[in-house]
Amino acid sequence: MKSAASNQPTVVSTPNLQGFEIKRRPIVGLGLLMSSVIGSLAVLIYFGAWASTDRIEIRVLAAEISGLQAEGEWWEDGLIFACPLH
Amino acid sequence: MRNAALWLDSRFGLEEHTIAHYAWVIVGIAGIVQMVGAAIRMAFGVLVDPLVAAFGWSPGSIGIAYALMSIITALSSPLAGYLGNRYGARRTMTAGTILFFIGMMWTSQTKEIWELYAAYGIVFGVSQALLLVPVVPAVASWFRRHLGLGTGIMMVSWSLGPALVVQALAVLFATVGWSEAFMIVGIVGTVILITILLFFRNTPEEAGRIAYGTKKTDNPLITSGNVFVSTQKEFQRYVYKTNAFWNLINIHFLGCVGHAVILVGIIPLGISKGLGPLAAAGVLTTISIVSVATRFAAPVLAERMSPKLVMFVSFFGQGLGVFLLFTANSTLDFYIFAVVWAIPFGGEGTTFPVMIRKYYGHTPMGTTYGWQLLGAGLGMALGGLLPGMVFDITGGYGWAIGLSGAFSLAGAVAILLLENPRRQLIPNWPEMEMTPDGAVGDSRTTVSQTEISPASGD
Repeated sequence: MKSAASNQPTVVSTPNLQGFEIKRRPIVGLGLLMSSVIGSLAVLIYFGAWASTDRIEIRVLAAEISGLQAEGEWWEDGLIFACPLH
Repeated sequence: MRNAALWLDSRFGLEEHTIAHYAWVIVGIAGIVQMVGAAIRMAFGVLVDPLVAAFGWSPGSIGIAYALMSIITALSSPLAGYLGNRYGARRTMTAGTILFFIGMMWTSQTKEIWELYAAYGIVFGVSQALLLVPVVPAVASWFRRHLGLGTGIMMVSWSLGPALVVQALAVLFATVGWSEAFMIVGIVGTVILITILLFFRNTPEEAGRIAYGTKKTDNPLITSGNVFVSTQKEFQRYVYKTNAFWNLINIHFLGCVGHAVILVGIIPLGISKGLGPLAAAGVLTTISIVSVATRFAAPVLAERMSPKLVMFVSFFGQGLGVFLLFTANSTLDFYIFAVVWAIPFGGEGTTFPVMIRKYYGHTPMGTTYGWQLLGAGLGMALGGLLPGMVFDITGGYGWAIGLSGAFSLAGAVAILLLENPRRQLIPNWPEMEMTPDGAVGDSRTTVSQTEISPASGD
């Protein structure tokens, strides 16, 4: 299957693509991609906020026993703030 | 070897699908690169316990190294694809081999957790992208036609790799310890990679050969020179303007979330339902073995029938199949699930190169494929995170299974919105013009403004 493939030229003119154009923007493709990104972030924020609420509740219960004050970590507070369901 | 292949060709009358073609050597090399390059990634689960025992790090903090590596690999993938197009897959993979060696040696000498993150997470992460992304487009350039067959054979290594590597690493960790195991795998892997790359050629033209499936009437494609670089930029600009380019990144992302949840969560789920550790691990092994068949068959069928149809059936089956896990309570149930689910799962990720060929013809696919692997890598990272996260919150895997199904089915819907793959979306990649005496002349394209011909790989 060895062929006599010639050495290819290194300097030739750019192929003529004049006249070909894609006028429409890829709205559907980009829209679907963005929907997935937003949906995935929503899932992460929802479960992250759920986990944060549980963690803080556990610490509050422990703090009530020990008499100390329980505070959320910055990322726990951030997730709970970002999630409208928590 | 070549004489034996020629004899087989003549013995079985193989004219179109000849065995005596260098493309098969390239496919073999690609399979080995995928296995060696991804060795430690595939076997990360085996690595966790030895590191916990040696340093007392928590499994969670060790897991961050894996997540970091997955994300770095994903983020580096578009660049790796571009470098493969621009400088050739061989040079790019050689750079990846050097980083592979540095990453493995550094990891073997790790004393602090930050070193593990830097060596395994960052250096090894970049090396993964440089090794694994350019190899698929390079294989594609060796197939003028029948890319589905070449892709299918190469993709079989995705299933065989984990099965072989996990066992070998488990034995190494047990006999020589984790640090020495990393050194051995690093040295042996680097020697294997360097050796096989000596036989690797980026394109058939570079090797003085013709691509598999080339007909006598086909002119050679432009694969080098100044015009190659400028034309590639020009064509890639068209690719970015198509819906399919963005939607395929999206589809790869959704599919990978869907199966990563299962691949990461199936063993703990099985154990939580009363399976022994060995039986639970056997479910994963069954998935690996059964999926070999469809990893091979899906791209072949995609080329013969329609990549959109094959991809849709795979995603739909993968999404629907996970719901069997809601009723799985016995070992038999889990093994039935493994067989039923592995069939569509095997075909889920292997049809992408065929789809790219259908939409964009022989345009170098490195950058396009690299962007798709960015989606895939981020999907694997998210899917790998979900089962543990959901279990920590709810004490079960129900939500994770539901999410896995939802992501795969969303991917199936996105596939329905893809363009018809029978119609090529951009002009044909230019061929060299041949003069009547067979000499190479100037370059040309074969498309007019109003009519776009079907993909020449059809």
